[in-house]
Amino acid sequence: MRALGRAVLGLLGWTGAVALLAGRCGARLGGLNGAELVRSLVSFGARSLGLAAGAGALIGATVVLQAGVYANQFGARLYTGWAAGYALLWEFGPLLLGLLMAARIGARNAAELALLTIHGQLEGLRGISLDPYRLLIAPRVVAGVLSVLALSQATFLVAVGFEALAALAMLGLPLRVFLGAFAEMLHLGDVIAGLTKSLAFGLAIALVSTVAGLRVEGGARGVGRAAASAVLVSCATIFGLDFLLTPLLAKVLS
Amino acid sequence: MLLGRLAQALRWERPSWKAVLQQVVELGLGSLGLVATGMAFFGMVIVTIAWAQARKYTGNITVVGPAYLELIIREFAPLLSGLLAASRQAAAQSAELGAMAVNEQVEALELSAADPLVELVAPRFFASLVALPALTIVGAMTSVAAASATVSLAFGADGASFANTRFVGPMDVACAGVKAVLMGAYIPLAAAYRGLGARGGAAAVGEAVTDGVVEACFGCLSIDFMVAAAFLPFT
Repeated sequence: MRALGRAVLGLLGWTGAVALLAGRCGARLGGLNGAELVRSLVSFGARSLGLAAGAGALIGATVVLQAGVYANQFGARLYTGWAAGYALLWEFGPLLLGLLMAARIGARNAAELALLTIHGQLEGLRGISLDPYRLLIAPRVVAGVLSVLALSQATFLVAVGFEALAALAMLGLPLRVFLGAFAEMLHLGDVIAGLTKSLAFGLAIALVSTVAGLRVEGGARGVGRAAASAVLVSCATIFGLDFLLTPLLAKVLS
Repeated sequence: MLLGRLAQALRWERPSWKAVLQQVVELGLGSLGLVATGMAFFGMVIVTIAWAQARKYTGNITVVGPAYLELIIREFAPLLSGLLAASRQAAAQSAELGAMAVNEQVEALELSAADPLVELVAPRFFASLVALPALTIVGAMTSVAAASATVSLAFGADGASFANTRFVGPMDVACAGVKAVLMGAYIPLAAAYRGLGARGGAAAVGEAVTDGVVEACFGCLSIDFMVAAAFLPFT
């Protein structure tokens, strides 16, 4: 019972911290430090591209493997394109990529901010009356969100490509048929749904990892623990958001 | 590679069973909350998607139910439970081992003639081999329960169709089992490799955690794909 209470308190604490952070960053969106924004975009986004592409390839191929099994069983191979594309856009693309990005971007962001905090550099900035939020924290949050969004789209394209290849190699489905079914049966609404989820996940990852990093206590151990809890809470948040958003998006876009 | 060294080290010394059990409890219980909650959410989401798909094609979700159950057992439970456990486990283990490496506690162990691989890594390795399949089972059950409940309560249809094992065969369970064991082997190895290799200070610990979790997650994705492909002829 006590554990449940602690969990609820923890949840409230996190929600509060995230909301506070979001407010602080939102208030400073106008005067962000451009240099830090660019640096973060490169560190979070460009450097994660390889990982995202690799993940996209794996995700695409696996989705087709599973979808193809059913299409074969039900004799609806032509629909493989639609089924695979639908599943990918709506669910697996954003979710699996979100989890992976929570690991990479989230852990990295939390670790870097944790380091800055325990070395007192953030307070140092305030000491010389520079605003750490405008200079460092807010640009990183924005960069994180943009990176996840951009990476999601790039990953989606890679995944679709590998889906088509996998369909050809493992199920003998011609490329034209697969891509044709894909293009025919998917609508803009599906793409928007995936985009919205990626945006939400990116926001969650950026905010949660920042809070985790800033909350660090202790030395090397603390940094490790901050990164670990960033990943953990990001993953939980992503699943929760996925659960909230999917029916909502389904209603709004169908 | 790390596995080879671990096997070699184990030939000379055995890890204490108490340590293994301790790790099983910590790993299993530690990830239990995340896996159960995550999989429950996922179960509800997958049902929502199935509902939308069923409406477009067959107009009846009870037809899709057994197929989705097979998918959950064969694919989603191992993959998602694995990813969730990988995130939590690899992060925690990389953090612990990384901090120890940076604080030179690992070298201190070596100096007192204890093999860090046996003392630190082996218990976690064996624990993960046991804990991850158990977590996968929990994940599967949670998501199925959540899915059935959602279908009954939110959509007013027959929730039992999602628990109908008509399509589930021994091959599906075997596929899931192989995945879970392989992931269970891979996650602690990736985490330990990154954690123990941390050198330099607090920054290195952060890097170790980031890389450890990323490698563990990517490894789970790869294992999932390879096992699924390997089992494809047996559908």
